[in-house]
Amino acid sequence: MPAQPTLSRRAFGASAVAVVAVLALGACSSSKNSPSIDGNVGAKAGSAYDSLITAAPIASSGDVDANTWAKKIKAQGYLKTGGTDSGPLFSIKDLKTGELTGFDAGLSQMLAHYITGKTDVKGLTKLTITTVDTRETLLQNNSVDAVFATYSITPERATKVNFAGPYYQSGDAIMVKKGNTSIKSVSDLNGKTVATESNSTAALQIKKLAPSAKVLLFKEDAQCVAAVQQGRADAYVLDQGILIGDAQSNPAVEVVGGDPFTVDPYGIGLNKDSDAKAFVNAFLQKIYDSGDWAKLWKATIGTVVSGNAPTPPKLGSVDGS
Amino acid sequence: MHVLTDNIGFLMGGVLITVELTVLGFLGALLLGTILAVCRVSPITPLRVVASVYVEFFRNIPLLSLLVLVVFGLPDAGLTLSTFVSAWICLALSGSAFACEAIRGGINSVAVGQAEAARAIGLTFTQNLRFVILPQAFRVMVQPLVNTFIGVLLSSALAAVVSVNDLTGRAQFLNLESAEAVLCFLFAGAVYLVLALGSGAFGGWLERKVAIRR
Repeated sequence: MPAQPTLSRRAFGASAVAVVAVLALGACSSSKNSPSIDGNVGAKAGSAYDSLITAAPIASSGDVDANTWAKKIKAQGYLKTGGTDSGPLFSIKDLKTGELTGFDAGLSQMLAHYITGKTDVKGLTKLTITTVDTRETLLQNNSVDAVFATYSITPERATKVNFAGPYYQSGDAIMVKKGNTSIKSVSDLNGKTVATESNSTAALQIKKLAPSAKVLLFKEDAQCVAAVQQGRADAYVLDQGILIGDAQSNPAVEVVGGDPFTVDPYGIGLNKDSDAKAFVNAFLQKIYDSGDWAKLWKATIGTVVSGNAPTPPKLGSVDGS
Repeated sequence: MHVLTDNIGFLMGGVLITVELTVLGFLGALLLGTILAVCRVSPITPLRVVASVYVEFFRNIPLLSLLVLVVFGLPDAGLTLSTFVSAWICLALSGSAFACEAIRGGINSVAVGQAEAARAIGLTFTQNLRFVILPQAFRVMVQPLVNTFIGVLLSSALAAVVSVNDLTGRAQFLNLESAEAVLCFLFAGAVYLVLALGSGAFGGWLERKVAIRR
């Protein structure tokens, strides 16, 4: 049985100081006025949002039966989607109801409603959280039926998966701390520290358009905003709609530089071996024509971007779609 | 494969950062862990309590929470550290809790007579610790400390979440560019595997070399 060596009292004083210092460091991490790092911006769940989804078109049973992919989804009763539950405006979980709302979420719910005809919005889709690292793989191994995740269509990705759409044309903008006048356009980002989401194509755009910028990649939108607010980053580059939403809920930051400086087409990711693409494109064309796409835009992105809904992008109009 | 061969310099730069972070994090953990372990075996109750609370706190808080606290919490307290330094501190803090337990086990394995004999021949506390107890204790804690090292190495991958440009961060970035998730992460996984196996083998060699035959 080993016994503890007895050690003298004096020397412990010194080590105690070190330990207390370390504990104090740990303790000061909590602060009353922390910036919120779980922002909840965008459409809130509710009967108005739900009826927007359920008012959208329903496919004829002939159309569904003629398509292997859609037939399978109708049989399983819901759509297995890949995406996020923490993306303001596009796909965010309402903390009270647990319902997913936003432009991407709404489209996935409309598509599920289109196929199954069901009206329980919450039960229409089952979300698997995806990241940029897993989206192609989850589609390839059929873990999800479709990915709705502000998924930028690129030729590289199109070699792995099919893209229906583009269903939304977006672009990157710049956010800075309020009062920072040194950044007015993308070229001003050279030599600056720029934060962006690690799963966004914005990182590639910064590398291309401001090659000497130092890029910080954070997991979530709210962390990027905090980085700008706390001075860790000079600017935050991401989709304009998301940045405007952040700036509205956070008075310490502002969006600068006018119109977006990139063109970023979003597509619905689908398995390459399935016959889903034509079916989903037909669905998109239907909601373009019926005006449901514009209504969804107004209820989500339109809550922070002023003006009327834009004209939806032409299906198949970009490389890879 | 070309995504890996074309970017091998970029990826190896990430490996270097991962190794730096791991080595610095482990050294910090070792230093703090030793101080803590000495506190935990001390006869002074408040020190034992403080050290126990520290160990239980940092052993049971997820590293990710700790990273978010240090990266986004400390700036509010007026201290903004670079993300690399933040990640280093977090790895050292959480690693030190594990290192402490490994070292405490080692110290407890040194027979009490050794310390008593050292005091009897007039060694001061520092000399006692430095020349008698710790040298013997470190020999039996080689394997537990190697486990701590591997733990620090593997948890260092989380630093990519707070934008440290390490191996994982660079694999993520390459995947963003190339949509070759499986290749990028197979490479990163293989490097972590080689580093961890290498540390394990080094630990085995070191243990054979320093072992005391009793």
